[in-house]
Amino acid sequence: MSPYSGSMYHGSPLLLPVLGPLTVNRVKGLPAHLFCSLIFVIVDFVTAMLIRATGQKLMSTYHRSLQLLNLSCVQETAGHTHVGDLASLIFLWNPFTIITCAGSSTSPIDNLMIVLSIYGACSGLSSLASFGWVVSTHLSLYPAILVIPVILLLGYGPDAPPSKLFFLKKSNESGGSCPKDKTCSEQKSKEESHIRNFCWRPVLFFILWSLIWSSYILFLSFISLKEFGGLSEMVKKTHGFILNVEDLSPNIGVFWYFFAEVFEFFRSFFLIVFHINILFMLVPLVIRLRHRPCFLAFVYIAIMSMLKSYPSVGDSALYLGLLGLFANELAEMRFSFFLLCGYVGISLLSPVMHNLWIWRGTGNANFYFATGIAYASLQTVLIVECVSTILKHDRMLRNKLTT
Amino acid sequence: MVRPWILLLLLLLAISPPSHSSTVHNNNWAVLVCTSRFWFNYRHMANTLSLYRTVKRLGIPDERIILMLADDMACNARNSYPAQVFNNENHMLNLYGDNVEVDYRGYEVTVENFLRVLTGRHETAVPRSKRLLSDEGSHILVYMTGHGGDEFLKFQDNEELQSHDLADAVKQMKEKHRFKELLIMVDTCQAATLFSQLQSPGVLAIGSSKKGENSYSHHLDSDIGVSVVDRFTYYTLAFFEKLNMYSNASLSSLFNSYDSHLLMSTASYREDLYRRPLSEVPVTNFFGSVMKTFHTDFAYTGFSMEPEAHISLVSETDSRRTLGSENAQTEAANHNAKDNCPFHAWLKVLEDKLDNENAEKLVLYGLGSMVLLLAISTLLSV
Repeated sequence: MSPYSGSMYHGSPLLLPVLGPLTVNRVKGLPAHLFCSLIFVIVDFVTAMLIRATGQKLMSTYHRSLQLLNLSCVQETAGHTHVGDLASLIFLWNPFTIITCAGSSTSPIDNLMIVLSIYGACSGLSSLASFGWVVSTHLSLYPAILVIPVILLLGYGPDAPPSKLFFLKKSNESGGSCPKDKTCSEQKSKEESHIRNFCWRPVLFFILWSLIWSSYILFLSFISLKEFGGLSEMVKKTHGFILNVEDLSPNIGVFWYFFAEVFEFFRSFFLIVFHINILFMLVPLVIRLRHRPCFLAFVYIAIMSMLKSYPSVGDSALYLGLLGLFANELAEMRFSFFLLCGYVGISLLSPVMHNLWIWRGTGNANFYFATGIAYASLQTVLIVECVSTILKHDRMLRNKLTT
Repeated sequence: MVRPWILLLLLLLAISPPSHSSTVHNNNWAVLVCTSRFWFNYRHMANTLSLYRTVKRLGIPDERIILMLADDMACNARNSYPAQVFNNENHMLNLYGDNVEVDYRGYEVTVENFLRVLTGRHETAVPRSKRLLSDEGSHILVYMTGHGGDEFLKFQDNEELQSHDLADAVKQMKEKHRFKELLIMVDTCQAATLFSQLQSPGVLAIGSSKKGENSYSHHLDSDIGVSVVDRFTYYTLAFFEKLNMYSNASLSSLFNSYDSHLLMSTASYREDLYRRPLSEVPVTNFFGSVMKTFHTDFAYTGFSMEPEAHISLVSETDSRRTLGSENAQTEAANHNAKDNCPFHAWLKVLEDKLDNENAEKLVLYGLGSMVLLLAISTLLSV
């Protein structure tokens, strides 16, 4: 039977032969889905290890760039934490992650692929990065936007202060040089000041590997679905479902409430508006944050988790874990306590409102959607504060450099 | 000139063997009719409600029960137990409980409505809950109780249903393929005369008394003041209270359980029109709703045969087989269009080679080799 008959399943056809047998096999005396749950635990653990490795890469790049700028004093004054350990611990101990894993949702696999692509890009492993990107796009559509930070990571390398600072440092040092030998001294100083150039080689490999992996995945999907309508059926039921928002059951996002009351005539217009809501933020963020592609990836993931058509707490678990990777830069974030309380409050109130509405019948949709809106505003505040704190950090580095 | 051909055709039709019923039994319906009103006919409503409860307990849902009652007992001014209907003086069972769905109530219980329900010829405004939406795979139980006589049944004190009306309705039902098998159970005086005119195959009928005999009530409830149940229905219920949904007691055991001394009448049944031996038919075929399920992987093609049976198709089912053949035609057309392109031809070859299980195995191997390729490429580029 086609996996898409009946509107229960809208995921990738490749997950079914992997996870299906695991839910069926019983070990004597233990619950039937033990193997399946074990898989998700392992997946979460691997994700945490990858986050730790990414954190270590970020930290080493950060140290190096600060040393090049002769700003190592910054490291010593601020309380310097090991971001890799911190981020992986935040990810593993986040109640959202634990709930997602215990609920046997397939979000841990999505998260693993996204983190895999970020780790591969940070380490310069094009095939790993492209594999993670292709598979995460295949599983849910939205990680496609991560192609921008991944390419920037492969081209420039992990996060560093803005290149303007390197120029400033060079100009400070060579303040007294004679203007005649400008050309050769410029070249020499360019090499000395280690200004990052965009190297195209890893990016080309990335594109090549993406083509290989995507054709492989499409071929496998085609084989598994050849009797049930082929690839067009798969695209219609998976990506088409995400884009068309056909199922309006309540979730923690903002789509369902609106699309329950929109008129048919305007439905496609508003679908476009809601999806462009994500897309129009991409370009300005790239322009402003292109020197910090890992942080850019974090912001993209946060925006995606907030504005996707069917969000879940598993997506939030991912970006909250990645938040820990930038603990040093975000040390002066405002409203952190407010956000923490907000998250705790929302995670407590939202199931209560859902219960009141659906099971007891004493509330209505507005109760539940109010928590949804509050959640979206919390996430907005979080994203805006993170971005502004990073920019403040860069400004602080620049001030330190010029004084 | 034409007449000899017509005669020949009629002769052929007459001598042709009756077509095998090549349909599968896949649903059960119940039409429960109480044809009396007024307080002193309490027992008829109690009969019908008891059977309603039994039939629901054994699995037939409300959507497939048509309940016709005058429904003036439970809230009658004379009822000292308001909103409660009992069928026994020990008052242990309230038949008018939480979820009794009466489809035709009060003055809607007429001969015309009963015949319309059976034949399915309603006006367009009649809602679905009042229609007998059976098909050629249905087993229908028709239970009628009230006051009757020689070849008639009295409906609500002002009209009567005659035995040939009933036989006509059943014949129409058979022509329109509205049942696979029909069980008519009648609890009135001289009940067996009511189904004396039946001729349609696949019909089984049982009545509480023969011609010339009365059917008696079982006992009087001194608290309520009237008789609360009839003997035939009382002993029928006694038989069914021992059963649950999964019992396979047969119809012959039900029919043999009636003792003419206890009933004070002779329960007679008519099985000449019914083809199967009664000892092989479980009572849940009519009174309950347990069915065999076949799991198939292909699309549902309507009233097709059981997969294991190899009965040759008769022409009446050919019209339903066209669905399958249309699919085959469109598939053939698609294949012809695709063969031109070599890529599609190669894909078709691949498709033909792989069947379902191979495809799954191939997908698993593909995923495994993908992971392997990933690991190798990562190690190489490090």
